[in-house]
Amino acid sequence: MRNGKIIVFTCNWYAYTGLETAGRKHLQYCPSVYPIKVMCLGKLSPGIILKTFEKGAAGVLMLGCLPDECYYTFGNRHAEEIFQVTSRLLRALGYPEKRFKMDRVAPGDGDAWLEKIDSFVVGLNGDQGSS
Amino acid sequence: MSKLKDIIDRNRAWYCLECGKCSAVCPITPWETRVYSSPRLLVEKALNGNLENIFDDPLFWSCLTCKRCSELCPSDVFFSEFVRDARQLARSNGRSGDCTHGEAIQTWARMMTAPDLDQSRLEWLNKDLKISDDSDTLYFVGCLPYYDILFRSLGIEGVEIARAAVKILNALGVEPHVLHDERCCGHDQIWEGDTETFSALARLNLERIKATGAKRVVTTCPECARTLSLDYPKLVEDHGLEVMHLSRFIRQQSPDSEMNLSLQKMDGTATYQDACRLSRHLGVYEDPRALIIATGLDLVEMEHMRHASLCCGTTGWTSCGKVSKNIQVERLREAKATGADIMITSCVKCQIHLKCAQQDPELGQELSIKIRDLTTVLADRL
Ligand code: SF4
Ligand code: SF4
Repeated sequence: MRNGKIIVFTCNWYAYTGLETAGRKHLQYCPSVYPIKVMCLGKLSPGIILKTFEKGAAGVLMLGCLPDECYYTFGNRHAEEIFQVTSRLLRALGYPEKRFKMDRVAPGDGDAWLEKIDSFVVGLNGDQGSS
Repeated sequence: MSKLKDIIDRNRAWYCLECGKCSAVCPITPWETRVYSSPRLLVEKALNGNLENIFDDPLFWSCLTCKRCSELCPSDVFFSEFVRDARQLARSNGRSGDCTHGEAIQTWARMMTAPDLDQSRLEWLNKDLKISDDSDTLYFVGCLPYYDILFRSLGIEGVEIARAAVKILNALGVEPHVLHDERCCGHDQIWEGDTETFSALARLNLERIKATGAKRVVTTCPECARTLSLDYPKLVEDHGLEVMHLSRFIRQQSPDSEMNLSLQKMDGTATYQDACRLSRHLGVYEDPRALIIATGLDLVEMEHMRHASLCCGTTGWTSCGKVSKNIQVERLREAKATGADIMITSCVKCQIHLKCAQQDPELGQELSIKIRDLTTVLADRL
């Protein structure tokens, strides 16, 4: 039951400000990408990510802050644990690794935001890239 | 209303004498302090027929369906089954309990209803463990590989239980089938009212089990044992398979419980946690105890034991909260009071719930007792 949507969870402080910059600069990205802002990636859970796939997402990207720069100090450590546990659950369920990834963007870096999204979409769609 | 009436009829709620014995023993009642809530009162609410009153009662969602109350009911009211059936009705009315763990477990169960799912759930197997495609026995692993991932940080035994089970079966001369595309058995779905997911899971499992040609299914999870032996035949298909918990199977194969091997004896004292699905639901009390005694461990019982034993505090990954925690703490205190070195359980969920309660930083030492699964304790001696 794939709906083709690519969900990008963005942390409020880093990745989301990157998205805002990308928006201000009118940078284009794949229309299947649906960014969802959360205050911190550490507030996600394996349950919510599994549910995203259950509802048909083609891929999920957790896009957060740089190592040791979490606004809430420990949030990205927590996010890393959530990522590891969820990756293992998805692997057991037979989902290929390319469908779930985690990456980081510096605050307000629109170009980096775009690059991360593009490379995730290319990884998902193979040669078709972000079409 | 007519649906509710059927549920009441089927589960003998009309016969309630309002004696209150159920409320006196229900582990939820003393800890549910938001509003007074008890099985007797819930039966009364059901007989009054207002659905919202039933669905709003906290016990309706937190009831462990542990059957402790049914042991005492003089009128044979099937309270757990009443709750189970009424939860299906509640779900069709758009109501459900509060799922814990961000609904991860319910979600993977629903994901497993996809017929073409290509799981990698057998990575725990190793070259020393012998499995076969030609056997009359199938080992049903259940969700162990998944719990292993989600709850590893609690220090639980997950795939260790599966490895231990195959090791024991091998020692008994059995090389079992193990399915690479097994699904969750659907236990929690029935008890939380999600019959649609349950039926889809059950059909996929039965199809695959039958394709192996196995005549017997052995489980290490009491919930899988209950669901495959009682619920599949009743709700899905009369499959004719013999289903049993591993402890039963070992005793059948080796009545002296020695697994036909001269095994070294273990030292120390153990207490045994009856899992509600294995004990009150399936009537298995003696097999695990006999196996523990055969290891050489001294078995000491907790204050609440056998038919009166206390559940691990949560069923179906729903409504876990202060009430569950209090029950778990009470149970761990009982285990500590026995002076045992180890608490042995027969259900991975008991282990998960009790080990979770042990994480409490305030109560840490007070509740510290080693908790292990019967299967891994037995396999250690091989
Ligand atoms: S089944 Fe257990 S939890 Fe539910 S009402 Fe009876 S004693 Fe209480
Ligand atoms: S024990 Fe049985 S008869 Fe007594 S109040 Fe409870 S349900 Fe009614």
